[in-house]
Amino acid sequence: MAATKKPQEKEQSFTQSSRKTYSLVEVVKAPTTMVDKGPDNTIFAFPIVAILELIIALGSTLFLVLFSLLKNAPLEEHANALLTTDPAKAPWYLMGLQEMLEHMHPTLAGIILPTLSVLFLIAIPYIDHSREGAGVWFTSKRGKRIVGWTALYTTIAMIGFVILDHNFPPRELLRDILPNLVTQSIIPGTIMAFLVILPVLFLWRFKKGTTNAREVILVLFTVLFFTAIVLTLTGFLFRGPGFELYMPWAMPNGYNPFDGL
Amino acid sequence: MKNLLQNLWEQITNSRPWKSFFRHGWPDNPLDRSLIMTTNIFFHLHPVRVNKKSIRVAYSLGLGIITTVMYIILALTGILLMFYYVPSTELAYFDIITLQTKVPFGQLLRNMHRWGAHMMVLSAVLHMVRVFYTGAYKPPREFNWVVGVFLLILTLAGSFTGYLLPWDQLAFWAITVGTSVATYAPGGKIIKTILLGGPEVGQSALTRFYGLHVMVVPGILFLVIALHIWRVRKDGGLAANEVKDDVEMEAEDGSN
Repeated sequence: MAATKKPQEKEQSFTQSSRKTYSLVEVVKAPTTMVDKGPDNTIFAFPIVAILELIIALGSTLFLVLFSLLKNAPLEEHANALLTTDPAKAPWYLMGLQEMLEHMHPTLAGIILPTLSVLFLIAIPYIDHSREGAGVWFTSKRGKRIVGWTALYTTIAMIGFVILDHNFPPRELLRDILPNLVTQSIIPGTIMAFLVILPVLFLWRFKKGTTNAREVILVLFTVLFFTAIVLTLTGFLFRGPGFELYMPWAMPNGYNPFDGL
Repeated sequence: MKNLLQNLWEQITNSRPWKSFFRHGWPDNPLDRSLIMTTNIFFHLHPVRVNKKSIRVAYSLGLGIITTVMYIILALTGILLMFYYVPSTELAYFDIITLQTKVPFGQLLRNMHRWGAHMMVLSAVLHMVRVFYTGAYKPPREFNWVVGVFLLILTLAGSFTGYLLPWDQLAFWAITVGTSVATYAPGGKIIKTILLGGPEVGQSALTRFYGLHVMVVPGILFLVIALHIWRVRKDGGLAANEVKDDVEMEAEDGSN
């Protein structure tokens, strides 16, 4: 290339000036970024981004200060290992776990399912590794519908599971008939697996032969997220003394779930 | 007089110390707006120019920034709380009462730390949900998604270890219930014993949770948050930038 250039041109593009900087450039195989268009879609980060971040920072701080002025952090009696509180609840973000402990064996509820959930979260970008739809809420209109229906399904299915399992607990009803492993782990584990797989099967059946990892992942994440919401709210809001189910506004003994935040 | 002041001002702004502190001019032109981003450690996490799509509030909802802001507020209020708090089963509870009743703004300080912690957990979860539904975990952002999952776990760890410190009934029983779950894991009894420093929640547990809460967890969080934000920049900013507009679609179709 350089050999074919005239000396005059060479001087123009490669000056000796120390103010000019050079960089090594290589042609790589990758999607084009700025072909056929100027940097019209970009703006200087300063000051717009700095101002936006400042607004969000000040806004959330103001909200926190106002909330802190209105509501005091709870402080109960001095800790007493001999006096159990009723109910004894974990912090709110662990109430989903504690709620699951009511329905199945602790190893399944407290260890296996949470570990699987975290592993699933980590695996998401490796299962769905296409770049399609990145940066678009729910990927597409179809994606939005999938999330909406899955959210509705999960909310109903999990509320149903909690209520049914509470009223007809297999561990109690089948205690003398089947071994504990079956009633405490295999039955609830199978029910959970079935509830999770059902919407995926539904999607698969109605997908007319195409495979799209994003849609499957949308279903699975939505199931996980809404299950977490239902179980956390059940444990936090609807469990009262004796860890029994009550309406949040009709708790006995003057128990208020929000006092435990 | 006016001339004299102007001269003095120029003398100051042209001096070596001034120029070493302020390495560029007032950022009202393209050059200085670029320099302010590249010469400032906090701004340099941003690119000089950003895509208009990525600053739409309806896209990101600002949840990552809110989570980071909560971390900063928790660090600052936490340091102030440390001035009034001794992690002893005999003193801790009464330190909190003294803080709430005798220390100026003590109650507000504790409220902000408590509600801020809840808000950080909530905004971290919602941030993850936002990133998921916008498909922002897709390549090349897989690694940063994994970093984010660990940040969520660390955030929960930070909140959980802080939960015990007031040493009231709520704290004691929440941690007792929370740590009892660990015993069902393989080797869980050992994990629980290491965490609590004994079979039950007592002075050793309080000492350990305090150390984890004020030093270990926030220290790791600080490093991993830095990594997380740096990766956002390295991976090309927000995933909204990847969305192709009509001009880009046309250009790509033309080239293929």
